[in-house]
Amino acid sequence: MLRTIIKREIQEYLKSLKFLIGLLITVVLVTVSTFISLNEYRQRHADYLAACEETKNDITYVRVYRSPELLSVLVQGKDRRLGNQVEITSGSLPYGTHGYMGWYRSRHNRIMAGFEAVDFAFVVRVVLSLLVIFLAYNAVSEEKSNGTLKLALANNLPRDRLLLGKFIGGGIIVLVSLLIATLLALLILISDPVIALGRGEWIRLGGMFAVSALYLGSFYTLSLFVSVLVNRPATSLIVLLQVWVVLLIIYPNLGLVLARKLQKLPGQEEITRQKEAAWAPYEKESKEISNAFSNAFKNGGRPSTELSLRNDEIRSRRAELQYQVDLECGNLFTGQAQLARRISIFSPAVLYDEMMNRLARTGMDQVERFLEAVPRHWRKHVERGKLLWKDREAFRKSKLPEFDYGRETLAESFKGIIYDAMILFLFGIIFFGLAYNGFLRKDVR
Amino acid sequence: MKTVIRKELLDCFQSIQFIVLLIISIILFSANGLIFSAKYSRQQNWYDQKTADTWDDPSTVSLPLYKQPSLLLFLAEGGDKFSPPGYQLHQKGFLSPVPASSQNFKLPDLPELDWAFIIKIIFSLYAILLGYRAVSGEKELGTLRLALSNPISRAGLLGAKYVAIVLALIIPLATGMLISLAISGFKVPHVLNTELVLRIILTFISAFIYLSVFAFLSLALSSLIHQSSLVLLVLLALWVLFVVMVPNTSGILAERFSETPGEYQTAKMVSSQAIRKLMGEKLRPIIDKARKGEFETEAELYRQTDAAFDQLQEELTKLYTVYDNAISRRQMLARNISRLSPTTLLQYASENIAGTGLASEQRFLDDIMAYSSVYDNYVLKKVGKLVGVTNWSFAASSEFKGKRIILRSPRPEEYQGDKSDFPRFSPSRPSVKQSLHYALLDISGLVLWNLVLAMAAFAAFSRSDVR
Repeated sequence: MLRTIIKREIQEYLKSLKFLIGLLITVVLVTVSTFISLNEYRQRHADYLAACEETKNDITYVRVYRSPELLSVLVQGKDRRLGNQVEITSGSLPYGTHGYMGWYRSRHNRIMAGFEAVDFAFVVRVVLSLLVIFLAYNAVSEEKSNGTLKLALANNLPRDRLLLGKFIGGGIIVLVSLLIATLLALLILISDPVIALGRGEWIRLGGMFAVSALYLGSFYTLSLFVSVLVNRPATSLIVLLQVWVVLLIIYPNLGLVLARKLQKLPGQEEITRQKEAAWAPYEKESKEISNAFSNAFKNGGRPSTELSLRNDEIRSRRAELQYQVDLECGNLFTGQAQLARRISIFSPAVLYDEMMNRLARTGMDQVERFLEAVPRHWRKHVERGKLLWKDREAFRKSKLPEFDYGRETLAESFKGIIYDAMILFLFGIIFFGLAYNGFLRKDVR
Repeated sequence: MKTVIRKELLDCFQSIQFIVLLIISIILFSANGLIFSAKYSRQQNWYDQKTADTWDDPSTVSLPLYKQPSLLLFLAEGGDKFSPPGYQLHQKGFLSPVPASSQNFKLPDLPELDWAFIIKIIFSLYAILLGYRAVSGEKELGTLRLALSNPISRAGLLGAKYVAIVLALIIPLATGMLISLAISGFKVPHVLNTELVLRIILTFISAFIYLSVFAFLSLALSSLIHQSSLVLLVLLALWVLFVVMVPNTSGILAERFSETPGEYQTAKMVSSQAIRKLMGEKLRPIIDKARKGEFETEAELYRQTDAAFDQLQEELTKLYTVYDNAISRRQMLARNISRLSPTTLLQYASENIAGTGLASEQRFLDDIMAYSSVYDNYVLKKVGKLVGVTNWSFAASSEFKGKRIILRSPRPEEYQGDKSDFPRFSPSRPSVKQSLHYALLDISGLVLWNLVLAMAAFAAFSRSDVR
């Protein structure tokens, strides 16, 4: 009996025009967005390789780069928006990334202002969630308003089995739609000769598919619940669409506003003051060394090795102290971002974005890893710089080790999403439980 | 006709969509008022302090010039948070951006909650939700043929439906706007003045024209398609296309099709290696001449190296300008592509009316460049020479008559005398008329969309089988 209901549901959905139109829109959007993102990724990757090559021989200005992530083609996250370069010298250790033109000069952020990412994750988050609502809003309410529900239940058919049949039938259609979208995106991705997906990427893609299914599942069960509660299909559609607007647009925005209000950040002036205060005990010593160092060059002379080393040391100490202030400020940034996320935790869209970014390694976690690795590399650069004054020849021969920021492993990524996935799964269970309970108690006359 | 309009209005006002929209509008516009009044006060305090610092003791070495925060940031923020709050003007017109206050780059990238965002995203969606059943819903219920059996023309009925949808949108919109203004006025009393009221009226008119596009679109599709849920699905697909796809993909498309060099290509030209090479080309002949003893005096050597450094700085300034122009051209291309969507037309019209966004940034830069020559003349008069500088300063060692000397790029001098006649910088502020002039192209685009969709809606409804 269950099989018959599932078969009937699937046939109903497949024959419906709304499914065909929804699927067509999904296919078109996934194709266009993946092609555009792929093209853009190729350019970013080529620039990244060229920049790495060019910086190899520069011994004064060390530039480190964050590699564009391959899966950013499907989930852009922060990958494109934040610059991927940090320039360090022995006297400068910045916190944060910037574009190729350097601090303050680069306008990579400005050019992207107003242009948000349209990628596979967007299509699932916005378009497929809408399609799911359209598929399920009338699952029960339409049968009730047509009078076919009481006819169906007049047979030897328990209510729970009917609902389960509807749930599985619709669920299969939702999964098929998602599968088509995913396969299409993958096909475009692997057909590009430059792209080579490794085992890790395939597993990540599998995780992304599962997360997308969980996300759509939460909307699907929510739609089923509303369809059970409301008797008129038109009303259930309107209710669902308004819930969708609140969950996807209004609630995350207000969460952000609230987080900004609740956790204040220090302004530029305050940060500058803190840096000056941290530096104040060393200022006199620094001036003395700096003056002695400059004076040594006058009249064609050279500073002694000891003076040069002290000059370098005081400059790097200043850089490190300033970095500490920036780092503390960065921790406040993290705190604010986490607060915004905690406030918006009941939005499936926020959870979905977090998980997709984590799996694609395009979220803040990846950028944080990069930022944490920069001071380690800087210390090696400072150590190497000392050779310049001790043994110029050895300095010329020495090479700075390759910059490595240890990209997130598969296990770390999956561990990072487990709680969010559980919450999303819980949403699905709760909504299905409510729909189930509501349907058992429903007056079907 | 009045009765029909009244009936349609009652239908709209009793709908769940209208009530929810009213609540959402009150919440969002209140949040807007609170956020932007606090932001404006903060920015204005910062601007006052910095401007006072600049003019207390104006410098002939370089002059920081700040952009006055816009009162109307709450209308359309226009990506201003990504622009520098001002520029350091150096001699010979080189500009270096003043660092912006720290932005939390770790927060999710959500758009600012300005009026333009609320109208272009939320209200347009509700225009669809209020209008999708206007014709097809009545057809499904069988009330359409009954309505048309009365002495009312099809155009009249559709007009009444249009008026009802637009009014159901305008009432929550006006309520929200008034709340936002009341909060802003309470927090920053001097915000409210005649000019602001005029600009608000212009924004309201633009919003009305924009929402009217979606009302006509809903009516056209509702007349064409018989099944309401299908009408809604198609409308939502078009909403995604207009509100999300076209505006957002145009940035990447512009990068793809723009012939201007990308950021990396431009950055290569001003990389430290490229600059060292450039410096080598300029200085090597002079250092060689010095080594060969071709200079009579040390002063002659310094004169020639100063001239070479000056040329170097000028070339660097040109390269930075190439980058800035490339970015501007690409931004213009992206904006022009995205103008296909009515949503972007509203965004740009709002930015022009509010005096924010790219156009205002460009105007500020033009004002600085115009002031730059006044500044240079003053410096020349007081100090006697102009020294071009960029982010870079240079040094090289040379031999002169067996002695090792250091050649450094010259630095501008600070005038120590009376500076009471220092020329002031006053950035231009477009009048309401000028703002309207700038916004006219985008508003005309919106009117055109309205005409096309109104004709489509009336044609579809008059040919529609109402049985």
